[in-house]
Amino acid sequence: MSTQSILGLFQQPELAADAMDGLKEAGFELGTFDVLTGTPYPEGAFGEYVPQHRLFRFPAFGAIIGLTLSIFLTAVTQLAYPMVTGGKPILSIFAMLIIMYEMTMLSGVIATVIGIVFESRLPNMKPGVYDTRITEGWIGVVVTFDDDSKVAEAQNVLNKAGALEIKTA
Amino acid sequence: MTSEATAHSHETEHHAPPAQVDADIIAHELIATTTNASKRFKTIAWVLGIFGIIGIIALVLKFLDQGSDSTKWGYVAALVSFLLSITGGAPMVAMAPVMAKANWVRPVTRIASIFSFAGVVTIGMLIPLVAMLPPLVTEGARRRTIWMEAPDYSPHIWSTLGLVLLFITGIMLFYSAAIPDFAAMRNHSTGWRQRLGKRLARGWVGTDSQWRTLRMRIGMFGTFYFLILVFVNFLITSDFGQSMVPGWRDAIYPMYHTVSSFQAGVAGIVIALWAARRQMNLQKYVHMDAFWSLGRLLFALTLLWVYFFYSSFIVFWYGRSANDIATLNLLVKGPMIYAFIAGMVLIWFVPWWILIWNKVRRGVNGMTIGAVIILIGLLLDRIRTFVPAWSVPPERIHEKWLTVIPETVYPSLLDVLIMIGGISLAAVIVMLMTRVVPVLSVWQVQEFNLLAKPIRYVRGHATLVAKPD
Repeated sequence: MSTQSILGLFQQPELAADAMDGLKEAGFELGTFDVLTGTPYPEGAFGEYVPQHRLFRFPAFGAIIGLTLSIFLTAVTQLAYPMVTGGKPILSIFAMLIIMYEMTMLSGVIATVIGIVFESRLPNMKPGVYDTRITEGWIGVVVTFDDDSKVAEAQNVLNKAGALEIKTA
Repeated sequence: MTSEATAHSHETEHHAPPAQVDADIIAHELIATTTNASKRFKTIAWVLGIFGIIGIIALVLKFLDQGSDSTKWGYVAALVSFLLSITGGAPMVAMAPVMAKANWVRPVTRIASIFSFAGVVTIGMLIPLVAMLPPLVTEGARRRTIWMEAPDYSPHIWSTLGLVLLFITGIMLFYSAAIPDFAAMRNHSTGWRQRLGKRLARGWVGTDSQWRTLRMRIGMFGTFYFLILVFVNFLITSDFGQSMVPGWRDAIYPMYHTVSSFQAGVAGIVIALWAARRQMNLQKYVHMDAFWSLGRLLFALTLLWVYFFYSSFIVFWYGRSANDIATLNLLVKGPMIYAFIAGMVLIWFVPWWILIWNKVRRGVNGMTIGAVIILIGLLLDRIRTFVPAWSVPPERIHEKWLTVIPETVYPSLLDVLIMIGGISLAAVIVMLMTRVVPVLSVWQVQEFNLLAKPIRYVRGHATLVAKPD
């Protein structure tokens, strides 16, 4: 059993959206079909599956860790070397704020970078079926299968929606 | 998705909505700009390249001849500051409107991000200056810098690293936004450009997920670029400017340098856009709307220049302490008074009265003249700051304030050659990059056409712009 994909090519975005609707109605699982475009259409323009990213969690998590570490670092350092400066308390919050801010920001930024890498995944260097006319404004609807039993059905949906050409790989 | 309609009078040609262009024509025409270099383009590139090589030779000769006398390096420091301002400021100016989802900026972003590549000249020119910079501790005494308890060569290391980091982030910002265009080159270009496109496109096919992560990366690198740009401006102005002069303490000067860097960046983009539009016949992609919007930005930044200058100046003027007076005598009233006056007139007063007119900002040539004047003014402004700062003898660096104002330092032949060479080299790098990737981003111009439609609005014309959330 090998992974196979077919690509339907459209010139009109409305027809590509119809093909996406048809695939959903035909029972194809979300994530097994996708739309290929040469320019970013507004999200959801083709009724495509929009996976929820979790990027916002990374900076929040990083910032909480940074803040906790900075409180620990500044507090423990001052308690370990107790020096009264200008009559101020040993644990002076205003002096700690700068380090707390810097470490919170730094951890937030580092976690964001990690989050972007994680959410982007690795680039797929062998993308399967493709057509160069996609960068000329054509729209591709690609369907991926683990078995060959639904290929004909997918081709039928794409043809019915008005695909000008169907390519297989 | 929201939409907005901008109505214009049908009487004004400049306000007519841009005509729609088919996506395939956009792809083929813009990719063709990388191969169709005119004879004039090649001649200019050769001339600038030769000037650049002469500049590098002059820099090496100067280092061999005057490598032990830091007072002779003020013009190179001014050049570094000038190049940092333009090549560092331009990509940022393109990023801010992108983040605000402005539609007019889409045809501008590529040319703005290409300026990052010219940052390599800034790094090259900085190398001898780093060698000239005095150590933090001389004869057991630590000079006044931002590095109070830091290791001895902190300014040398961190300023260089900062500039290199800015360069790398600029390249990453450029690359992040250029991946779809490398895919277009892979699909429609030929020869080495096609091979380059294939290698750099990294398997790009344009899935929804790829577009989403592309937007994330652009946002991330844009934010980092802004943070690093401000930090590098702070480092360069502090380590290569203020700390060279005893008693010069100015918290506003780094921000003044950063804001004038944005001004220079917009001016640089206007000139580059004018040249690209004229030389590559890109009138149907670079619309008046882009110049009109850049004009408003440039006008605002020109007025902001005087605000920051005055905010900085007034502290010294009213302070009247010995070091305030000495600082003003060195930087404003002293050896560079004529450069100061000329700089202020050209960076602020003349552009103010050029750009104040709507008719000028709606045009291409008037805007470009204003931008050229601003850059000349900026160069004079950097000269009047950095040349006097570097003319202070190192043996006076531990004084509380400057008791003897140095004489005016005029540029030597080598200085002139280095300045012409450095600017030429930066310009030729920008020009050569337009041979590698399309000067306008293919996918962003296509997106511009996708999201903006010319419509009839009552009796006038308007552009209907879709703004995806």
